[in-house]
Amino acid sequence: MRALIVDDSAVMRKVIERALRQAGLELTEVLQASNGEEALQTLRENQGSANPLALILSDINMPVMDGLQFLENRRKENLANDVPVVMITTEGNEGSVLRAIAAGAQGYICKPFTSEQVKARVLPLLRAA
Amino acid sequence: MSRLDSAVSEVFEMMLERSCHPMEGEVDTIESRIVARIQFAGAVDGECLLYASQTTASVTAEALLGTPSEPHDPMVDDAIGELCNMIAGGWKSKHTSPGSNCTISIPAVTRQGLEGYQPQFGTKFSRNYSFQGNVFGVVLAF
Repeated sequence: MRALIVDDSAVMRKVIERALRQAGLELTEVLQASNGEEALQTLRENQGSANPLALILSDINMPVMDGLQFLENRRKENLANDVPVVMITTEGNEGSVLRAIAAGAQGYICKPFTSEQVKARVLPLLRAA
Repeated sequence: MSRLDSAVSEVFEMMLERSCHPMEGEVDTIESRIVARIQFAGAVDGECLLYASQTTASVTAEALLGTPSEPHDPMVDDAIGELCNMIAGGWKSKHTSPGSNCTISIPAVTRQGLEGYQPQFGTKFSRNYSFQGNVFGVVLAF
């Protein structure tokens, strides 16, 4: 299984990857991006891949392009629109949650989080996909 | 202050799997410090600053990552920024109503000079915390 983790913090990208592995996901490759623009470029480069992405996890509050703009642009460009997206962020206010869901996010995890919370949010999405 | 204590405790228990306790006194004695700053805007205007010595910062990065970190590794600054980010976000979610519009900035981290809170804010909470004998300070001003 391949996943894309989008967060401006390299530390947080590692923490999220570890949480996914602790949740039991058998990750063969973890792609990383430090902002929404890099994430869009990664999706463009992976279009038509024989081994498509199974999951995207994205922060909201990032420089260059934030996570909400990333989702909105992903939809406009029709990039990996069938891949489930979970937002992992400190931005837990109602407006951000609603905008993320409207832009295509299927799940939402607030930092700080436990690996159990990651498991509870992510696994059902992968089963449904 | 209890909201701040609760936010700090949650971050350490959930992300670092360690307990963290508030200490008596204000933040003023941490030397050679790394400082992280998060700014609030909207329903709350203010900032959250986190002060840590290089040793505490390295231990924190190691606890977050699960691997050893050298004191001058950029990942150490990153870890302190994220710690400040999560504490500030946790405090904000406890302090404001779910529907309120309050944004927080990306963390800024510096090792150069002393960073104090901006004096225009009327309320200030300042407290040191300890985990496994390592001390760091948090100042909230809004």
